[in-house]
Amino acid sequence: MSADSTAQSTPPPVVQVRDMDFSYGASKALFDINLKVEYHRVTALIGPSGCGKSTLLRCINRMNDRVPSARVTKGEVLVKGKNIHDADVDLTQLRKQVGMVFQKSNPFPKSIYENVAYGLRIHGEKNKSVLDEAVERSLSHAALWEELKDRLHANALALSGGQQQRLCIARAIATVPDVLLMDEPCSALDPISTLKIEELMHQLAKEFTVVIVTHNMQQAVRVSDYTAFLHLGKLVEFAPTEELFTNPREKLTESYLRGTFS
Amino acid sequence: MTPVPTNDNPFAGDNSGIQQRETAARWALRIGSYIVVIITLAIMLHIFIKGAPVVFRSQWPFVNTQFLTELPATLHVIEDQQGNHIETDVNGADAIKKKLGDNFRAEKTISYSGGGILGPIVGTALLVVVSVGVALFLGVACAIYLSEYAKHGKFLEMVRLAILNLAGVPSVVFGLFGLGAFVLTAPTFVDVPADRSVFSIPLGFTTLSFEGWDTCVLSGGFTLAFVILPVIITASEQCLQAVPQGFRETSMALGATRWQTIRYSVLPFATPGILTSSILGIARAAGETAPIMFTAALAFKDKLPWQKDLPPLPADASIFAHWEQSVARFFGIFTESVQALPYHIYTLAAKIPQNEYAERAQYGSVFVFLVLVASLAASSVMLRKRLRAKYRW
Repeated sequence: MSADSTAQSTPPPVVQVRDMDFSYGASKALFDINLKVEYHRVTALIGPSGCGKSTLLRCINRMNDRVPSARVTKGEVLVKGKNIHDADVDLTQLRKQVGMVFQKSNPFPKSIYENVAYGLRIHGEKNKSVLDEAVERSLSHAALWEELKDRLHANALALSGGQQQRLCIARAIATVPDVLLMDEPCSALDPISTLKIEELMHQLAKEFTVVIVTHNMQQAVRVSDYTAFLHLGKLVEFAPTEELFTNPREKLTESYLRGTFS
Repeated sequence: MTPVPTNDNPFAGDNSGIQQRETAARWALRIGSYIVVIITLAIMLHIFIKGAPVVFRSQWPFVNTQFLTELPATLHVIEDQQGNHIETDVNGADAIKKKLGDNFRAEKTISYSGGGILGPIVGTALLVVVSVGVALFLGVACAIYLSEYAKHGKFLEMVRLAILNLAGVPSVVFGLFGLGAFVLTAPTFVDVPADRSVFSIPLGFTTLSFEGWDTCVLSGGFTLAFVILPVIITASEQCLQAVPQGFRETSMALGATRWQTIRYSVLPFATPGILTSSILGIARAAGETAPIMFTAALAFKDKLPWQKDLPPLPADASIFAHWEQSVARFFGIFTESVQALPYHIYTLAAKIPQNEYAERAQYGSVFVFLVLVASLAASSVMLRKRLRAKYRW
């Protein structure tokens, strides 16, 4: 997949949000969002608390479906060119190809191996050698293989907080998704674990497309290629990260970045 | 301004009685708790003192095996001229009377107080197995649906309220419900529908007739299942809710269906609690008398459920015929009526004239019953501990 799309001069965006409105029941959470996520780039969503960045992220794998009365009221979300709200979209297939890592590291209280193999198992993979291979590959991608290869059958909850979060990343990439959504993955971690995950993100972008929600602007600068700034449910500015941080077009972006927010 | 030091106590009480009220409250609460503990211990001790001598023996094998392995029987007590009492059963009575000859003075018979209580123990065990099986299946299914599938709203609240109310229904009402529903109208396959059949559906090779299951283990077990169902549903739902939402989100985000999520990342972690609640349900089911009075239990039965009377086979009967009879006897564990411990205790205590012999049988039964229930409760605590250690999050 990557060879073809990167070879073209302008590869089509893997995720495209078009004129999307989103509401929780009667209260509107997102207004007229337009967003393009390019293959093998890290796109950061920043903005103050409650601006809708997590909601926007969860629109991409339809995790909002779990909330009753939450729905897209206008526009569309395309992933790999397909409208994900079409009737013939199988949610399990969508979520297999759009993985997600949550704010709170939440490994299952099972072995490390079973955690990573979970996604493959539920998609029907029974072949032991395929599972073994996927576990090794995913843990290596998450920079955990060297640390954990001798205790794959230990309980995942025995790991440190940073290791747990990297295990969650390994679990999410085991199904080889095209897009990896990360919802403030470092907000519960210490600075050293945070640094490890940020380093990881550059590696991950080589294989996957990463969309990350963060409330830490330095983190967005460090890890992302593109940044979207959201405020009160509106996408204020979307630009290459360097451009957005050094030379914001919008006054609102500038005052948020400077911390002089009204 | 520096305060001038004085010899007065700056923290002296103000004699408003606040300390006295504190002491009074503490003692009132303490006495209340002591009363509860003392009464509980008194009951236990009383049953132990009266019941243990019936069940235990001072010589090998230290346990009254007859009491635990024989069916209840009528006790015959024969008194001779010297005032000695000889206890025997119906078969031994004549022999002893003949041996005593002129020395014989009187004979007393006490119903149900001889022999043992194997029948009631077996009956209670069967009822508990059936009721817990049914209640776990229905209860866990219902709890999973309510907790994981049902949409929040008015309807769900109403269902929850209904389940809570079910827990408050008097058990004799469940007994009557069981009589009407399972004993008299439940569907069964028969060749010829009985006259009392509510309605029947001919299926060609057999007939599905709503004529009830009669008084039997199955009827009693289903009735008991409905008694303990609210406990199991409520407890199971709480256990499911206690599993972190993050497990569900993660599993769904990996592309699992709802059922896969429940099967692999919710149920395994809720099982310890569900099992604990089910064992407490066992204790409840074993102890109920009213629901089984009309549906399963007899005051007396001289056969175990698998010793059903069947016409003797001719000498040249085929193996198949023997096999068929064995199967019919085996299914007696569901289709026969039984004795049950709580009902047996009630019979001994209220239905026969009281004397030392009847009392002995009563306390023995109560003691055995209490030990069974206590060991169930203890095993539930141990099971929970072990599973908690395994599935911790």
